[in-house]
Amino acid sequence: MSKESLEHLSRLMDGELSRDAGSFLTRRLFSDEAMCQKWERYHLIRDCIRQPGSKQVVTGLSVKLSASLDAEEVPTVSAWRSNRWLKPVSGLAVAASVALMAIVVTAPQTGQVPGEVDTASTTPVNQPFVSPNTLTRSPASQAVNFAPAQRASSNRLNAYLLRHNQMARTAGRQGFVSFVPIVVTSQASVKDDSKDKSESVESGYKLETAENR
Amino acid sequence: MNGLPRKALLLLISVSISTIAVAGDSGQAREWLERMSAAMSQMSYQGTFVYVRDGAVETMRITHVADDSGVRERLYSVSGPHREVIRDRKGVRCVLRDSAAVVEDQFIASSYFPELPLSIIDSESAGYRLETGGEARIAGHPALRVTILPEDSFRYGYDFWLEEHTGLLLKWELFDAEHKPIAKLMFTDFAIGSAVDMDELESDSRAEDFIEMKTFSMQKTVVTRSKPRWQPAKLPPGFQLTSHNHKAGEDVIYEHMVYSDGLAAVSVYVEQQGTEPAVKPGVSQLGTNNAYTRTQGDLQITVIGEVPAITVKAIANEMALSVASN
Repeated sequence: MSKESLEHLSRLMDGELSRDAGSFLTRRLFSDEAMCQKWERYHLIRDCIRQPGSKQVVTGLSVKLSASLDAEEVPTVSAWRSNRWLKPVSGLAVAASVALMAIVVTAPQTGQVPGEVDTASTTPVNQPFVSPNTLTRSPASQAVNFAPAQRASSNRLNAYLLRHNQMARTAGRQGFVSFVPIVVTSQASVKDDSKDKSESVESGYKLETAENR
Repeated sequence: MNGLPRKALLLLISVSISTIAVAGDSGQAREWLERMSAAMSQMSYQGTFVYVRDGAVETMRITHVADDSGVRERLYSVSGPHREVIRDRKGVRCVLRDSAAVVEDQFIASSYFPELPLSIIDSESAGYRLETGGEARIAGHPALRVTILPEDSFRYGYDFWLEEHTGLLLKWELFDAEHKPIAKLMFTDFAIGSAVDMDELESDSRAEDFIEMKTFSMQKTVVTRSKPRWQPAKLPPGFQLTSHNHKAGEDVIYEHMVYSDGLAAVSVYVEQQGTEPAVKPGVSQLGTNNAYTRTQGDLQITVIGEVPAITVKAIANEMALSVASN
């Protein structure tokens, strides 16, 4: 697998990939076994790195580090010597970079909704930290406190689904797959009902009565 | 010079004919589905899979063991907040660490209604078309594809990629009537039989770690052969009643009916609104499941299932108290 593919995979995990590139890579994940294994390994690495309760999520670190280390040319001693006058300025540059990093790293803790990035106020358009990516991030970074009423409603739906999967034996034909939505979605999303009304009208399908069944 | 293209053409024709023959064999598809159904419950298997829906990718792990101690299963998220579903002879337990909740339900084994045979989905009025065809290698195992195509908008279609020797599910795709993908699942590693690590069945979640412990009063119900008091006046084509249970006691209203077309299933819950937390009225989405809730007087009617939103809504709106029970 190429270094570029690895980098894309890492960026997908970080939510930094554009929607189109993300869709393409997701499709490739389903056909490329080696890439799937890599994807799985990255998740394990990320889970190992993340501290319980920590707000900061470290992702794709090893790949980014190795990629940047490989790409970086080691400066020769003579080159440094010839630019000795730059030393004080470079010290300032390092300090500025650290300050910028501090701003970027702490930015997500200012009450933003997880998964959303304020592209206008943080970094320039071409910087890798921001992306117009609309791909939903893995809920790894989305531990959200729901309102009690909403959570109760969601748990009630989960209970309905648990009972449904037990009673609907046809659902058992696919085994554990019926239970995956409960693990994936900790809370239900409520749709706009008005949109759905139009759907049902447009469908135009006839229901069967007890007599014609 | 002309010999080679002709041979290639003959080869192409013979491959096409064999592909058509395989694709057209719905009986073969049904046999594979029966194998899958048996294998998924009666075999021991373990693996990691990726699940994709709405552009979100999640990684999960499943351990399913069937031995002398019965069937035990543990499904949990590898990435993100810890969530897991544990199934055994005691029932099903769902741990949602991110919302600090545990939802559980007792084991329910029996139904007075006969299980719908898979042949029902192969009939002309079923609303599905079955196909086989396609081979691949998934998680190191050879796999064959079985496709179930929906013939109307009341149900979804499926692509099952099954392990060639056992019929176990290696890849699963859900799509709508226009073949637009809804969700996909694929194993990245997969072990069968003695290769399964039994230790993974053990959960590290303890009840005392959770603030909320949700057990629902719906668990104290009885399965019955009687006709439901609440019934839909109309149903989508192919759907029929397959299960009914209600709460013991005449003063409380709780009815649960399951309607199925042989593959998809929809549950209808009719409950009196009381101290239990209510579901917000309207259409809700729980993963690939749609639910629709409406209230009628002090009753709440919720329809849920892995079917399109129009199906749950249509059934919910048709629910009415049957004349016989008045």
